[in-house]
Amino acid sequence: MGSERTAVLGVGQTHYRSTRGDVSMAGLVREAAMRALADAGLEWSDIDAVVIGKAPDFFEGVMMPELYLADALGCVGKPILRVHTAGSVGGSTALVATSLIQGRIHRRVLTLGFEKQSESNATWALSLPQPFSVSINAGAGGYFSPIIRQYMARSGAPELVGCMVAFKDRQHALSNPYAHLRQHDLTFEQVVEAPMLWDPIRFSETCPSSDGACAMVLGDEAAGDASPRPVAWVHGTAMRSEANNFPGRDEVSPQASRDCAADVFRQAGITDPRREIDVVEMYVPFSWFEPIWLESLGFAERDQGWRMVEEGATRLEGGDLPVNCSGGVLSSNPIGASGMIRFAEAALQVRAMAGDHQVDGARVALGHAYGGGAQYFAMWVVGADKP
Amino acid sequence: MTGHDVSDTVPLRADLVIEYPFIRTTGPVVGAFLTGLREAVLVGIRRVDGTVMVPPVEYDPVTSESLTEVVEVSSTGTIVSWTWVDPPRPGSPWDTPHGLALVLLDGADTPLLHGVLVDSADELATGLRVEAVWRD
Repeated sequence: MGSERTAVLGVGQTHYRSTRGDVSMAGLVREAAMRALADAGLEWSDIDAVVIGKAPDFFEGVMMPELYLADALGCVGKPILRVHTAGSVGGSTALVATSLIQGRIHRRVLTLGFEKQSESNATWALSLPQPFSVSINAGAGGYFSPIIRQYMARSGAPELVGCMVAFKDRQHALSNPYAHLRQHDLTFEQVVEAPMLWDPIRFSETCPSSDGACAMVLGDEAAGDASPRPVAWVHGTAMRSEANNFPGRDEVSPQASRDCAADVFRQAGITDPRREIDVVEMYVPFSWFEPIWLESLGFAERDQGWRMVEEGATRLEGGDLPVNCSGGVLSSNPIGASGMIRFAEAALQVRAMAGDHQVDGARVALGHAYGGGAQYFAMWVVGADKP
Repeated sequence: MTGHDVSDTVPLRADLVIEYPFIRTTGPVVGAFLTGLREAVLVGIRRVDGTVMVPPVEYDPVTSESLTEVVEVSSTGTIVSWTWVDPPRPGSPWDTPHGLALVLLDGADTPLLHGVLVDSADELATGLRVEAVWRD
């Protein structure tokens, strides 16, 4: 007996904003969860368990917030499980929830990721002093910029490819009512002329700090068949991780990334991802990670990913492999939710429910998340057809 | 089992001081309670079954329904249970011996843990009537 077929029955998102001053953390997660339940046509009593993820506790200084959030998530007397995998946590959380369905532990699971960055400072949190270590207060941008420079050097990519990605994702965000950054008058020149934060990463090429939550209701095959709305079927799931520092590590295309992609595509029966995947929601918090992951995931040959950006292949309008039609992490970054948003947006695309950023005829989509020092990876392939 | 004797080894030690001003968005229910404290008013929340919880919570702890009916309760109440703190500990509300008590405020159905300032444990008792003293 194989694993249980799993379907995404419902998706719920809050609007992503720099500050959601009107709601507590509980109110924030409640909003996304209620919308996911409504989308699925279900009630609290239909849910068997909750799987929740967010960035490390010290980001907002609430230890084990899942305990306090159980009431808000209709979870009294039911199992609740917290997942911790840094920035990839939203993706990993969805995959843990999926595994509970696949393993026939539960029939319907609510899974949710959230962050309230307005109550914290992520760059500070990422620069905590460590005993017996020297702190260079690099933050995420300081950590990733040398990796990006390494990619630029080895691929020979033109200098403005990152700006092209940033401009594209901000254009895409204009079609997503939930997106945080909706810069109607932004020009490519403004992206290029923005201040340099961590050379070669400009201010315009980084993600914002957002408050927000994203939830999904997952169900077994019978629940998927009974759903009043179109569902997304899970075709493959994979997680991989590796240390962020060891001799010989390929930091631009970590082995864990390549192994994770190979596994998820094998499960989904995909041999030519560029041709067989219709749309990608990829974790791109700094613009250059789009070409970097295009290569690592097998959509482009090594050192050629930037050409897809330059040719417009990843654009919603006219591209053959649209990437981050929602605007991506570059337009909304509630950290603990950011991975789940990628997974949820992939599901919305194959359910034909992505609204103004829908890719016409999308049947198969990849959701992707990474975290830590590009060392934790989570991916799923979802499709309109039952696998 | 054999092994090295490490009983005389001095363990490595390092200080790790984490200081950071987090911000809290309290939302409409907890926010109402905190605003009440500022104005010397105690409020609770009416649950689905009609009982009143103090301090208030946003969601019913049994049914998970949203709770929105904020109700004022009295500044007087009855001690349900108590303990005596002597000597006071760092972070205690007072630097003299004092009580900690579960106080059922008049109008509330759940008791609130709070410090009680009396001269000795002999003065504390279950059933004792107490009154909130507000900071000037």
